[in-house]
Amino acid sequence: MKTLIYSSVFSLLFLAACSNGSNKTKSTTSADAKVTTAVASGSSEKGTSTAAVLASYLKLKNAFTNDNDKDAAAAGNEMVTAFASFDKKSLTPEQDKAYTDIYDDAKEHAEHIGANVGNIAHQREHFDMLSKDMYDLVKLLGANQSLYVDHCPMYNNNKGAIWLSEVKDIKNPYLGKAMPTCGTVKEELK
Amino acid sequence: MKGIKKILLGLLVIFILIQFVQPARNKSRQVMPNDISKIVSVPSDVQGILKKACYDCHSNNTEYPWYVNMQPMHWFMNNHIQSGKAELNFSEFGSYTSRRQQSKLRSIENSLKDGSMPLNSYTLIHRNAILTKTEKLLLMNWVQNSKDSLNKKNFN
Repeated sequence: MKTLIYSSVFSLLFLAACSNGSNKTKSTTSADAKVTTAVASGSSEKGTSTAAVLASYLKLKNAFTNDNDKDAAAAGNEMVTAFASFDKKSLTPEQDKAYTDIYDDAKEHAEHIGANVGNIAHQREHFDMLSKDMYDLVKLLGANQSLYVDHCPMYNNNKGAIWLSEVKDIKNPYLGKAMPTCGTVKEELK
Repeated sequence: MKGIKKILLGLLVIFILIQFVQPARNKSRQVMPNDISKIVSVPSDVQGILKKACYDCHSNNTEYPWYVNMQPMHWFMNNHIQSGKAELNFSEFGSYTSRRQQSKLRSIENSLKDGSMPLNSYTLIHRNAILTKTEKLLLMNWVQNSKDSLNKKNFN
């Protein structure tokens, strides 16, 4: 009798665990699907493959200006997908080499931002390095939109950091709501 | 009562069986061509600190503690080593792109500053891997110098 009780309890637990697990996978796959469709629609036109990457970067930047670590993580993951669907075929060999160098680094930063919900300081460290990569990427391949290169002098113990923005007004992603208008426009990319 | 005995016996059998599944050890005796010491200079005192506090999970050479001879401890440790190496591998540092090398050095700096490395779960058992203030300072200086020398290399 006891064996029967034990085994039924175990199988119940097992079933509960299983159904939980499948629910989880379901919700993540639907989220992934959303991301891929968004990216796919962004990259369907020719020459807009940096557009998908850039769009997710700007989303990321805006999440940081609002001190929102969860949105930042979502945008980081979106960026990883955007990089994965980037089409390298149209690049010249030199561009390809430079792109690979940037991609190798940037993808990793995006992954880290995606994996660090709850630690916005750590996410911002990677955003700093990612912003330099994005600057070089836009310089290399263009952006199809005008961008502002902004500079925050205070971040990282006054070592300073740059970010790219689609608007002229300063909205600081490193200091967030604490000092939203700190920084200057350094350069305009067209 | 009988049920508990059966379960315990089952667990014991599983425990004995898993002892035969040993993952391959993370050991390579020679210095790899892509080792960080081939890219930047690594003074012997820095090398010593890296070896005792970092290399177990961030290189191709792990000093295995006694308890890995018992499963599933070896599996847990193996997981740690795999994810540690994926993140940063001093033995493969030279194979990273120059941009990534800079990023990795910066990340080392950051994790030293905020104390997130070595992991607490690691120093709990490996007490000698806890970094003293002087050791931290030494590493930070070394990272700074390495960053500068790599920067110079890439612009010449």
